[in-house]
Amino acid sequence: MKRALLLFTCCAVFAADGGLDPARILHPTPDSWPIYHGDYSGRRYSTLAKINDKNVKSMTLAWVWRSGRVDGGLKGTPILTGGVLYYSAPDHAWAIDARTGRELWKFDWQSKGGIHIGNRGPAVDGNWMYFLTPDCNIVSLNIRDGSERWHKQNCDLDQFYYGSVAPVIIRNHVIAGVSGDDLDRPGYLSSYDPETGALQWRWYAVPQHKGEPGSDTWPNEDAMKHGGGMTWQVPTYDPDLNLLYVTTGNPQPVIAHANRAGDNLFTASVVALNPDTGKLAWYFQASPHDTHDWDATQVPVLIDGEFNGQPRKMLALAARNGYFFLLDRATGKNLVTSQYVPTNWAKGIAKNGEPIPDPAKMPQVAGAIVSPNQGGATNWPPPTFSPKTGLFYVSAVRAYSVYYIYDTDDNPQGWGGTDRGGANLGSSVEAIDYKTGKVRWSHQWESGGHSGLMSTAGNLVFAGDGAGNFVALNATTGEPLWHANLGASISNGPITYELDGTQYVVVTAGDTMWAFAML
Amino acid sequence: MKTWIGLLVFAVLGAAQTPEQLAHSREVFQKVCGACHPVERATAMRHTRAEWQDEIAKMVAMGAKGTDEEFAVTLDYLSAQFGRAPGRPAGGGGLLDGMGPSDKHVVDPVAAERGRTIWAAECIQCHGTQARGTDRGANLIRSELVLHDRYGSTIGPFLKKGHPTQSGKPSASFTEAQIQDLSHFIHERVNDTLRGSPIFHVHDVLVGNAEAGRAYFNGAGKCSTCHSPSGDLAHIASKYDPPTLQGRFINPRPMGGGRRGGRGGQGGAPQVTITVTTPAGETVTGRPVFLDDFDVALRDASGAYYAWKRVPGLKVVKNDPYVAHDELLTQYTDANMHDILAYLETLK
Repeated sequence: MKRALLLFTCCAVFAADGGLDPARILHPTPDSWPIYHGDYSGRRYSTLAKINDKNVKSMTLAWVWRSGRVDGGLKGTPILTGGVLYYSAPDHAWAIDARTGRELWKFDWQSKGGIHIGNRGPAVDGNWMYFLTPDCNIVSLNIRDGSERWHKQNCDLDQFYYGSVAPVIIRNHVIAGVSGDDLDRPGYLSSYDPETGALQWRWYAVPQHKGEPGSDTWPNEDAMKHGGGMTWQVPTYDPDLNLLYVTTGNPQPVIAHANRAGDNLFTASVVALNPDTGKLAWYFQASPHDTHDWDATQVPVLIDGEFNGQPRKMLALAARNGYFFLLDRATGKNLVTSQYVPTNWAKGIAKNGEPIPDPAKMPQVAGAIVSPNQGGATNWPPPTFSPKTGLFYVSAVRAYSVYYIYDTDDNPQGWGGTDRGGANLGSSVEAIDYKTGKVRWSHQWESGGHSGLMSTAGNLVFAGDGAGNFVALNATTGEPLWHANLGASISNGPITYELDGTQYVVVTAGDTMWAFAML
Repeated sequence: MKTWIGLLVFAVLGAAQTPEQLAHSREVFQKVCGACHPVERATAMRHTRAEWQDEIAKMVAMGAKGTDEEFAVTLDYLSAQFGRAPGRPAGGGGLLDGMGPSDKHVVDPVAAERGRTIWAAECIQCHGTQARGTDRGANLIRSELVLHDRYGSTIGPFLKKGHPTQSGKPSASFTEAQIQDLSHFIHERVNDTLRGSPIFHVHDVLVGNAEAGRAYFNGAGKCSTCHSPSGDLAHIASKYDPPTLQGRFINPRPMGGGRRGGRGGQGGAPQVTITVTTPAGETVTGRPVFLDDFDVALRDASGAYYAWKRVPGLKVVKNDPYVAHDELLTQYTDANMHDILAYLETLK
């Protein structure tokens, strides 16, 4: 308690100085975007409505900021506090003035390797920024000048782990996941002391010893200890229940699965953890015994709303496997399971709401035609939920490919197969009624595409198409109302904020951050 | 060694471009592929042209962006610079450059072959042919001691401490050179499990029934509406190996999946075209340059460029000869796919 009080005192001071009081994550103000998802719920919804369906046609360019060449491009979500955007990409971090796009400082990390495929962005707590590096470090910087305070090892590069996910701050915890599924290693989530970087707890996505919860879903200790379940998504959090919602990656070996009979808990699942201890409260497995690299590391979006006439605390997940799930987030009980694009890999739905995989549609030596393909019906780019429309919006792809087993050994390792060829039959934004799981409207992109989304109280959903257009859709009907060609594809979700009475909409594409406003 | 000869052939092919052309190709490749991932993820791999085409198709399905021309240039560039001859193993030891630490162990294949001899004499009975372990010995692919090793740096001290061997030879008596060779062999086994490794390829896909395939071709599949075994498909099985042939009829678009038109005239592949009719009634047909929700542009047969804003009254019709293959994807059973391949394989 003393610690919490101290923290509160120190951060109230920082907040006055442009730093971020963690209490503001609970109740974000319009002049901030204090956390990856905008708030703890993961709904990526803004109450701002100055830019709305009536006037968005006049929205225009406010500023641009260019990063220069960065391996992996710009895929992160900036954090806004004190009029400054804090941003990261593989091996780099920046502070950028949120009104003008002018760069205030840049930090370069000397990399020792790792996969530089992308970075989802930083977290900010008080006057300190935190981000992960591809070479497995978590780094804390002073937000005033970008100087390094400390760095700690978050994973072992020799085991081909790497860092890409944005950390999340919950009180005195900096919580960060791990990436990497080339070797058979366990996924985990770690909590660090914000001040010192000392490890507070670590939760393993797969049981490390026989007898632990979930160990009966693996054939032996070797299989489960190395069973994957990377934590590549930014968790969400319910402060009232004090539960952290974490989605986990695919099991290992990824495609060839002869040595991991069983459901392989807690891979391809959404789990609820106590953020103070890392202890598991409940789980729901989106893809039991996943064999298609689909994982379930999509954003677990928290919805407070009505279900069957009663107010309920819920969690919605549009999973990479093509299914939409609505759960009671206090218990994990399944309320709705539906397909948001047609799929062909499950032979039914179990009583607990989990799809039952069809063994014939698991990868085969001679090939099996499967939909979705490895890219998934959706992927990591964030969906959005608007409490105003009651709709859950997700970028969706309908694609088929042929899944092959390459490693026919009875003890396969690594991937042991992959999918090849096939075709993308269409990309869209799907608007799902959370109460039924039914698609209310679907906007098919002429040019493909798959981006992160954001919804606003202005009855807008912001999205990117496959041709590099940044698009504002009518949140109620899906009709495109405004667009601008940014010349490169958009992956992460846009953000919005209001400074000095002007509402800005900020998005990254390629090597550039773009801000739009009504000027 | 064979691999290097294969690469040399492709390198020579690549040299047919002028340095300026090569620089342009590399720029296009970096733009198309580097937008999503470090380009080294691609350049660490060695593929045949058909495999690169497959890879690009997969990336397109996953959201890779570029014009048809850019994808065509990328395919040419990767095939020429990072190719391998069909039937020869992929090079690069399977270890993609981006994975793991910068100072990782780089396998010397010749040393690994020497290590194999030691392995067979002293280790194989307990740790297995592929170092994946047996009831008597640990899986070394998953061993942290191995993953932390560089050229014997951890394997050496481990063996010096004493470890059972098949022949009974004291493990502490291995020379530094032998430990290094063994280290190369074990790391090569780890690398074999990675995507893009020499053993990472399709096996036997000829499991279907040719007669059933013929019946589907002429019946439910309606393939014979557009194709003929003595016409466009004559000798098709001589042109492609079975996995490639399977990929070709699943999606015959020159650039694989997505909504793309393919490259202009290459190999006589049928073209996707669009026909635009303006509100004034003017009609133009040509290859799409781009087509999104808001704009459309094309080049007609003479190469002239046309572009329009997609205003109400502007009609865009896609003439896509491949659309039947897209529809079939939603209808095929796996047995249909295997049977069609078995039938096409009879068309040598």
